[in-house]
Amino acid sequence: MAQSPRSSDRVNLEQITVLLIDDNPQALDILSSIVMGFGVREQIRCSSAVEACQIVKTRQVDLILVDCAMPEMDGYDFVRWLRRETPAPTRHMPVIMISGHAANSKVMKSRDCGASFVVTKPLTPRVLLQRLVWLASDQREFIECETYVGPDRRVRNFGPPLGMAGRRKGDLSAHVGEAVEPNLDQADIDSIIKPRRVAL
Amino acid sequence: MTDVRSSKIRSNLSRKMAQPGGRTIAEALARADQGVEGHREAAMRKLGDHLEQLETISRQREPGCETLIYDRAAAFLDMAGFFETGPLYTAAFSLCQLSDRMTALGVWDWPSVEVHLRALRLILSSGCVTGAASDEVLNGLAAVARRYA
Repeated sequence: MAQSPRSSDRVNLEQITVLLIDDNPQALDILSSIVMGFGVREQIRCSSAVEACQIVKTRQVDLILVDCAMPEMDGYDFVRWLRRETPAPTRHMPVIMISGHAANSKVMKSRDCGASFVVTKPLTPRVLLQRLVWLASDQREFIECETYVGPDRRVRNFGPPLGMAGRRKGDLSAHVGEAVEPNLDQADIDSIIKPRRVAL
Repeated sequence: MTDVRSSKIRSNLSRKMAQPGGRTIAEALARADQGVEGHREAAMRKLGDHLEQLETISRQREPGCETLIYDRAAAFLDMAGFFETGPLYTAAFSLCQLSDRMTALGVWDWPSVEVHLRALRLILSSGCVTGAASDEVLNGLAAVARRYA
């Protein structure tokens, strides 16, 4: 489980190349400002997923931030294409999908596309940086089967990073409550773990 | 049974982020926040434009324009979601939910849309401030949206 980053911890994004994909130029400008603030020196901006397909075929990037809703080819189809139609290591690229409102009809598409994370708005720099740090220490295996290609979706097993409340309804709290019974004394503990001879 | 392959892969992102250097989290966040704030004024103007478009669509009610309401509301939400817009974001989300559900159910109720647009206008013109008045407005919208839940 990843540790929650502290304000004094350092984050080094100077050497990474980020691909930003959004059909809204204003949103692209805002995303660009955020990653620049994080210290990213090289970013490639694409106004369509189709354009981004050409980029990833010819250039190695380290991280992709893609908006889910776009005309022609949406973010879900882009990630699905990336995971299934490109060779390694391109198909393994970390992808953060940014979602505004997830229409009912898109929920399954979002779950199955293979993005490393789907981050729903409101999107603050803090949330995005947390996801980035989390992604850097991602322990999940990469799964490839007929119905799904992408990082293991069972992220719930790892829980939210320590110190973070998590944003899912089912996230367990890391808070340890007050004891409701007296502690066991040493004799009780010893009796539990004491080896006993058993007749076989 | 389908063939499932799993592999452990360490990404370039992970390798490069493990290098020493960079900036502190506090500094990175401060710079990013500052960068976002630089776009606020233009974004709020854009939100005003989106709302005007929504009001025009709702006023004209041309056949088949219902999907435009969802598309414009989603575009509104996309932009509002980059900033701390409190009740404005919640009201826009409610309009997205409402229009999405009504489309899925095959029913459409223009008064429910109009009440959302009036709420968005009110919240936008009062500076997106959270308070008792905005809470009351949002409770009203939630009651309207629940009819199509």
